[in-house]
Amino acid sequence: MTALAQALAKGSLGNRLWLYSNYHCNLTCTYCLTESGPLVSRRELDPDTMVDLAHEARALGFTQLGITGGEPFLIPHMPELLLELSRVLPVLVLTNGTLFRRALLDRMAPLADADVTLQISLDHPDPVANDVMRGPQNFRKVVDAVPALLRHGIGVRIATTVEDPDADDLARLCALHRNLGITDDDHIVRPILRRGRARTGDMGVVARYLDLPPELTVTADGAFWSPFGPTVTGGVLDTDLLLTRTVRPLQRPVQAMLTVLGARPEGADSTLNIR
Amino acid sequence: MSAAVPPVDVPTRPGGAPRITLIDAASAGLLLRQHFSSGDPGPVIASLAHVPELVGPTLPFLGAVLGPSWIPAREKEIVILRTSAVMGCRYCTEAHSVVALDSGLNVREVRALRGELPVGDVFTAEEERALVAWCDAVAQGAEADIRQARQVLDVDDARLVELTLLVATTVMLNRYATALALPTSLDVRERLLREDL
Repeated sequence: MTALAQALAKGSLGNRLWLYSNYHCNLTCTYCLTESGPLVSRRELDPDTMVDLAHEARALGFTQLGITGGEPFLIPHMPELLLELSRVLPVLVLTNGTLFRRALLDRMAPLADADVTLQISLDHPDPVANDVMRGPQNFRKVVDAVPALLRHGIGVRIATTVEDPDADDLARLCALHRNLGITDDDHIVRPILRRGRARTGDMGVVARYLDLPPELTVTADGAFWSPFGPTVTGGVLDTDLLLTRTVRPLQRPVQAMLTVLGARPEGADSTLNIR
Repeated sequence: MSAAVPPVDVPTRPGGAPRITLIDAASAGLLLRQHFSSGDPGPVIASLAHVPELVGPTLPFLGAVLGPSWIPAREKEIVILRTSAVMGCRYCTEAHSVVALDSGLNVREVRALRGELPVGDVFTAEEERALVAWCDAVAQGAEADIRQARQVLDVDDARLVELTLLVATTVMLNRYATALALPTSLDVRERLLREDL
């Protein structure tokens, strides 16, 4: 058994390979780790490269893919790319859920039969409080998109990112997501991480690399320890969680990851529930 | 044949801000933290840290070529400092002026290697003048000069290989440090001022 296979089997390395499809976004969320927005550098991963990486990941023993950004659905052919990726490995896509108008929903239809799940951000049960963090009309667009996607047969999870969780707000949010058709198992709650725009805005919890579950993450800038690694602060890429600039063959960053994992103290598991 | 060292044009390059951001401990990638754990690792590592996977293979290579070996430190520093001066590398010339002093060269010898005094007036040993001529020829790369310098450099093949790799590696670092305008560290500057260099 290879060192990678052992790490994946033990769970000391996450079995999902994350790909940052792009860094630009139609939103400018106040706590965004990557300082994404409409005008930032796109830093896109080439779709062919993403497919090649998916094949490499499967050959190495990874069992899932994660796609994040930026907003992945700003990439013109994202539904078709997701279909192709899902033929290699099951795919989880992180999206703000605001772009699913009729035309895009129609193009999403073939994904009903594919192993693709969308994770949509929704932070607060009150539209105003939610939209202060995420942008105008975000709440309405999300609560419209979730049932529409479910009607198209596409799997949806809800991710809630909060600074100070309030029990009452959380209860109302859970009632809302259940009403939208999302079960409790498909709702995750996580803290704001003090990186990127959250750091500039004096929000969130500080996380060392030991606090972040190791999940190999590939971007146009290189390979990182975790999907929370390739953040941007003050317009500059954070490199503290950078593993390698070289991402292909995927074995190169995998080897770097295993080297770091080998130096990780025993029992250094995540404590912040960051996922 | 005696080792006359003809004057060479030792260029001087002005200092200035580095052309890249130097990585600090807070920004150092996960594979590199050991290099930053004792403080500032110097601009070569702090620049290479932009590409973490280059650090691992590069440092052992540089250590093997530039670091302690069976060739005496004085001899190696003559090569490194002379080559750096001929190549006009401000960063390497300043840094290795200090290392040369610490390796037993005196201030006049350092000045001569930097092109500020005639080498023939300062270095009396024939073999050291021949070594300087070899550095000049290899660094500048003209076949005729290399052929002539080899005739007066009385060393065996093993020594020739190591000395030549030392020149070549120094040239590589000279190009790297000059192109990126790596900054001389404060402690080196202070030492050079104290030594009037």
